[in-house]
Amino acid sequence: MAAVIARAVDDRETVAVGTLSPIPAAGVLLARSRHAPRARVIIINHEDCWPFHNGSKEFYDFAQRRKIDLFFLSGGQIDQFGNLNLITIGEHDHPKVRLPGGAGSAMLYYLAGRVMLFRADHTPRTFVERVDCVTSPGTSPPRVLRPGGPWKVVTPLAVFAFNRERGRLELESVHPGVSVAEVQSSTGFPLRSPGHVPTTSPPDEQDLAILRGPVRESVATLYPIFARTAFLAA
Amino acid sequence: MPGHVGSDYETLRPDFKVITDPYSGKDVLLVPAITPDVSVIHALQADAAGNLILDEKEDDFLLAQASRAVVASAEEIVDADTLRRAPYGVRLSEIYVTALVPAPGGAHPTACRGRYGIDDAHITEYLRLAGSDDTFRDYLRCYVFDLKDHGAYLAEVGLGALAA
Repeated sequence: MAAVIARAVDDRETVAVGTLSPIPAAGVLLARSRHAPRARVIIINHEDCWPFHNGSKEFYDFAQRRKIDLFFLSGGQIDQFGNLNLITIGEHDHPKVRLPGGAGSAMLYYLAGRVMLFRADHTPRTFVERVDCVTSPGTSPPRVLRPGGPWKVVTPLAVFAFNRERGRLELESVHPGVSVAEVQSSTGFPLRSPGHVPTTSPPDEQDLAILRGPVRESVATLYPIFARTAFLAA
Repeated sequence: MPGHVGSDYETLRPDFKVITDPYSGKDVLLVPAITPDVSVIHALQADAAGNLILDEKEDDFLLAQASRAVVASAEEIVDADTLRRAPYGVRLSEIYVTALVPAPGGAHPTACRGRYGIDDAHITEYLRLAGSDDTFRDYLRCYVFDLKDHGAYLAEVGLGALAA
């Protein structure tokens, strides 16, 4: 997943990573070590990657000036229309699960140029036909100021691309060793794809060495448990 | 507030209003300002007048501006001249500050820049005991009611060296 995220980063662009996002943090740091050395990398509250001096307010103000090209979001539920749910699962007034809340997602999903969604699991419970509560919609009518929106989704099984014209997620690739049928059985909506579904290219040896070495060390300052448990030895 | 238009916030929060922005002609969501009665913030340093140096990563300045009253605790009280020369931090004038409490270790079990890190074992214990009213009473007994003062708390959580 981190390698897929790394490839999404273009050199010289501004890429930002918010809270509770260790995999995107690892991915953008990998990108900067490889093909995107001049990318401006912002990782919330990271000692070396946080250029702001006035809290998250300054970060949100920066985003509202449309200065973020690529951002990462997740959802307790994500549906085929790219809608995100970070509020409640089940009936809103008697929820089965109360999620942490939208925070800045309903602003960043509109104003960051490209938003890559990620989930560390891929189940029919999280990838649903329609979310129970729309914290942030995948698309908006022209009357709404919305320069940005969903672009891709990465999970442990596959990559989806968001088709803006159709307003739908489409299967872009399946990871090595994963079949389309397996992705379908783990997804709560019927998969659409433009035709033959290729295999995601895996990280190369150098990617793995960088991830397990300097990237692991750098994310450990923010995500000590992730750094201890998510990597194989260097 | 940019974004948000077309989400379920519109129905969940009737106090949020969609209007047409007179400048761009686009729909935008208006959100009423939050005005807390009291905010409680923790400063890295303070002087006796209540001028503060706040962590740059926090939104305490915004919180203080929004609130009717501000109670600040401070890691350290220094003289006004030392505060003026502080190399790091957001400055908050004493005009916002209602009350100041000297409290070394006051951010525990969260971290305080340059002084102590996050106490993840304590937070894990807190989360476990906060799961029910009964066990939360145990937490309060152990860390609040049975300790005679703040110095005793710091000693209990392993930050005794910070006590004056």
